[in-house]
Amino acid sequence: MSQLQSMIQQKQTSSPLVNVQEMQFWLDKAVVWSQADSPDTQKDTCLHLSRLKEFLQELLAHIHAMSSTSETMKRLPFLGQFLGRLCWNSFVTADDTSRKLLLQCLWGLYSEHPSNPLERKANQWIRKVLCQLATEEDHVAVQELMKRVGIPPKEYHLKVLRKMVALLQKSIGNGCSCLGNVNERCSCDHILATSEACVPLVTCPEAAPLIGALLQQPATCVRAAISEDFLHTLSSAYSREGLLLEEQAIVCLWYHSLSSLEEAVVSLLESVVTVTGSTPENLEQQVAQSVLPKACAQHFSIFLVTNDIFRSVLKQAEENESVKSLIQTFTSCFLKELALLQPQKQVSLKTFFPQSPQSLIVPLLTLPSEMPREAWRHHMNWLSGSLQRLIEEEEEGDGDSSSSTRGHHKIFESWFLLVQCGYWVQVTVQLLVMSGPEDCDLLLWLLTFYHHPTNRGHHRALQLVRAKEAWDHLRSLFMVLAGPFPVDHLQSLVTLLSPQPQQPSLSSLLILNLLVSFAVFFQQSLKRSTEILLTVVDKTGLVDEAVCILHSLGLRLNERSCLSSDAIRVHLRIKAFLNTLTHMHGA
Amino acid sequence: MEAVLKNLMSTAELLAVAAQSDVVSQWDKQTVNRAFHWAQYCEHLFSRFHNKPSVRRVMEKQLQLTNHSLRVAFPGYTGVSFSDLSRCQHLLLVGMLNNPELPFSIMKILFDATPVNTKNSEFQDVTGLCSHIIQCKSACKVLSPLTDLSGVGADAEVQGGMLIERMGALLSESTEACQTEHFLDSILQGYEGAAELFCMVIAAALLTPKNSAAESVSQDFVMNWLQKKPSVLQHMCLALPIALLMDLTKRHEKFRDTYCDLLKKWASDMEYNISDGVWVHTSTNTTMSFYKLTERFLALFEACPSLRDDMEKELNAFKISDGDFDVRGLSVWGDLLSALNK
Repeated sequence: MSQLQSMIQQKQTSSPLVNVQEMQFWLDKAVVWSQADSPDTQKDTCLHLSRLKEFLQELLAHIHAMSSTSETMKRLPFLGQFLGRLCWNSFVTADDTSRKLLLQCLWGLYSEHPSNPLERKANQWIRKVLCQLATEEDHVAVQELMKRVGIPPKEYHLKVLRKMVALLQKSIGNGCSCLGNVNERCSCDHILATSEACVPLVTCPEAAPLIGALLQQPATCVRAAISEDFLHTLSSAYSREGLLLEEQAIVCLWYHSLSSLEEAVVSLLESVVTVTGSTPENLEQQVAQSVLPKACAQHFSIFLVTNDIFRSVLKQAEENESVKSLIQTFTSCFLKELALLQPQKQVSLKTFFPQSPQSLIVPLLTLPSEMPREAWRHHMNWLSGSLQRLIEEEEEGDGDSSSSTRGHHKIFESWFLLVQCGYWVQVTVQLLVMSGPEDCDLLLWLLTFYHHPTNRGHHRALQLVRAKEAWDHLRSLFMVLAGPFPVDHLQSLVTLLSPQPQQPSLSSLLILNLLVSFAVFFQQSLKRSTEILLTVVDKTGLVDEAVCILHSLGLRLNERSCLSSDAIRVHLRIKAFLNTLTHMHGA
Repeated sequence: MEAVLKNLMSTAELLAVAAQSDVVSQWDKQTVNRAFHWAQYCEHLFSRFHNKPSVRRVMEKQLQLTNHSLRVAFPGYTGVSFSDLSRCQHLLLVGMLNNPELPFSIMKILFDATPVNTKNSEFQDVTGLCSHIIQCKSACKVLSPLTDLSGVGADAEVQGGMLIERMGALLSESTEACQTEHFLDSILQGYEGAAELFCMVIAAALLTPKNSAAESVSQDFVMNWLQKKPSVLQHMCLALPIALLMDLTKRHEKFRDTYCDLLKKWASDMEYNISDGVWVHTSTNTTMSFYKLTERFLALFEACPSLRDDMEKELNAFKISDGDFDVRGLSVWGDLLSALNK
C-alpha cells in the first residue's frame, strides 16, 4: 500500500517535470544559436522551430504546475538563461507561436506577490527583458536618426520590413539567370535560403507578398527549389489558422505540396458531406470558393490528385448523393475555369482523364448548352448505346477472373465519368418525359446504369424492367388531362417508391427524378401536376429529396439560360412546386 | 485654440505620470487605451501644425510651461518638446514599460501574441502592441542577411528616405539654411562610430526617386552640404561599392565631378616602389591600390562614356608634364593611361 502511495506521489510530482536531458539539449542549442550568427545556425534554428514549440509548450505546462517561481527555478536552474537567450533569437521571436509561448513562459515566472528576493529579482528581470524587447534598438545611430526626423520606431521597423519584402519579392520574380547551366552559380540559390528564412514568417502579414512570390516563382532552374520545411509550415498554418493567402499563392502551394492539396480536397468533401440541406446554389458557391476548380484547370496534376480522391471516396460511397452532386458540381466549375484559360495555356481534355474510356470523354464533357436541343436525343442515344456496348463487353468477360478486375475498372471509370458529367443524366430524364414507348429504352438504360452501376447479383435486367414500369405509370398518370386520377397507376408508383423487402428494388431517386421531370416538363396543368407530385411525395415521405431535385434542376436550366417562353413556363412551375413542397414541409 | 492647448497640457502631464508616478498601478486596459488615444491625438497635432510657425510657437510655449511645473512634481523628469509629439505613442509606451508600478496584467495585454489585424493602421486597442513591434523587428533581422547582398540595404534605404522627407519639410518651412545644415550636422554626429552605415544612408538619400520638386531640392541641399565635408565625401567614395558610386555619378553631376577629382588625387598621391615594381599609395589611411584605381576609372568610363575623351586628354597632359616618357614606373599618369587602354 505504502509502495503504491509513494509511486502515485512520485508520478504526481514528476509528471509535469520537463526531462532534464531535453532541457540540456535545448539549452545547448540556444547557446549555439546565440553565439554565432552564421547562415548555418540560422538554418538550424528554422529546422528546429517546430520541435522547439513543442518543448516550450511542455515547459509552459511545467511552469504552471509548480507552486511558485522559487520552486520552478530550483527544479530548472537554467530556465532563466534558456528563456533569456531565446528572447534575443530573432527566428524564435519572429514566429507567432514561438513568441507567444516564450512570452507566456516569462509571464508564468512572474510572481504577483513575490515572497523572497529571488522572486523579486525574477520579476525585475522579466520586466526589463520585456521592455528591452519592445523598445530597444540595435543601433544607437538609428535611434538618434528616428528621434531627429521624428519617426516612431514602430513605423520605422514596419517600413524597413516592407522594403525588405519588396526587394526580395523583386529579386525572386526576376527568375533565373543561369540559362540551365547546372554548374554555374545563380540567383536561384537565393530562393532556397529565402524560403528557409520565411519559415518563422509564414503568419506575418507583412511577409505575405514575399511568401506569395516564393510560391509563384517561375521554376525554370533546378536550383530554384523551395524548402520542404517552409512548405510544410505554410500548409499547416493555412489549414490550421486560416492563413490569408492570395488565390494564386494557394494554387501554387497545392502545386508544390501534395499534403496541403489533399487536406484541401478532404476538407471540401467533409464540409459538403456533413452539412445537410445545402442547396445546389450553396454547393456551387462553396466549390468555387474553395479555389480548387481553378487550381485544377491550371495544373492538370492537381486535377489528377483531386480526381483520385473523389474516385476513392465514390468507390466507398457510391450511393451517397451529396458526394455525387459535389463531384458533378465540381466538374462543372472546373470546365468553366478551363474555358476561361487562355488557349495557349489549355491542355487537351484527354490529359485530364487518362483512365476514362477515350471515346466517351469529349461527348460527355461537352456541355448540353454547347449543342442544339434538337441534337440532344440523338447524342444521348449514341452515348447510351456506346456505354451499353462497353459495359456488356466487360461484363461478359466476367467469368474470366484475370480480366475481371480490369473489366470492373473500366466499368467503374465509365460510370465515374458519367457521374462527373451528371448534367447529361438530367437531360436524359428530361428527354424521357417527351419520349414514347418506342424511343425510351436506350434512355432508360442510361438512367438505370447511372443509379445502379454495379449490376450486383446480375439484377440490371430486372431493374430495367422496373424502371420501364415506373416510367409507364408516370406517363399514364400525367396523360390524363381531366377527371379522377387513375388510382391504380398512382398506387403502383407509390409501391415502387416504398422500401421493398424483396430484392432488387429500384433506386427511389431514379423514380423521383422521373416524377419531378414529368411534373415540370409534361404538358399538364399546373394544378394537376402539383397534385400528383404532392400525393406521391407525401405518401412516400420523400419531400426533402424532391425539393433538392427541383433546386438542382432549376440551377441547371438557369445555366443553359434559354429565355424562350417554354423556359419561363418551366421556371414558374419549378418555383410553384418548391413553394408548395416547402409549405407542406413547414406545416 | 485654448481647448487644444489644454489638451496638449493634459497629454504632456499624462506622459509624465505614465513614466514617473505610482498612479499607474491603478490603471486598467481602458485607461491605457485612452492614454494611447490622447498620445495619438498629439501626433495629429504635430502633423497638422509643425509647419505653421505661429501655432507651433504658441504650443512650444505651452509645453515649456507644463514641463516646468512637471519638473517640480517629478524631479529629474526631462519633459516633452514639440518635435517629440510626432512620436508621442512611443514615448508613452517607453515611459509605461519603464515604470515599475505598471500592473503586470497591462504588460500581458501589451505583449499578447495573438495575431492582430494590422490592416487597420489607426489603432483601436493596445492589445498586442508590443508583440507586433517585436515581430516586425525580428522579421527584419531574419530577412536582413538576405537583402544585404545588393544596393544600399533596406534599412539604409528607409533611413535615407526618412532623411530626405524631413529635409523637405525643413526646407519648405523656410528655415534658415544654416539651421538645416545644422540639422544635417547633428545627424552626422548621431552616426558617430557607424560611418559605413552613414555612407549608405547618404547614398540612399541621394538616390531616392525624385517624385517631387521638393525631393530634388532636398537632394541638392544634401549634396552641397556634403561638398563642405570633404572627409565624409572621401570616405563615401572609398567605402561604397562601385555599382552604387556609379549610380550616384549618373544621378548627380556634382558628385561625379568630386569623384573624378578624388580619383585624380588618389593617382597623384601614388609613388613607384622600385623593389616591388608597383605603384603604392603614400598615405597610410587609404587602401587604394593601382589595380583598384584602374578598375574605378574603367567603371566610371563605362557609366559615363562621354567623360572618357576629356579625362584621357587630362591624364595625357599630366603625363606630358611628367616628361612624356613611355617607360613603366616613371609617371603614374603614363602607366594609368596604358592600363586603361589595354
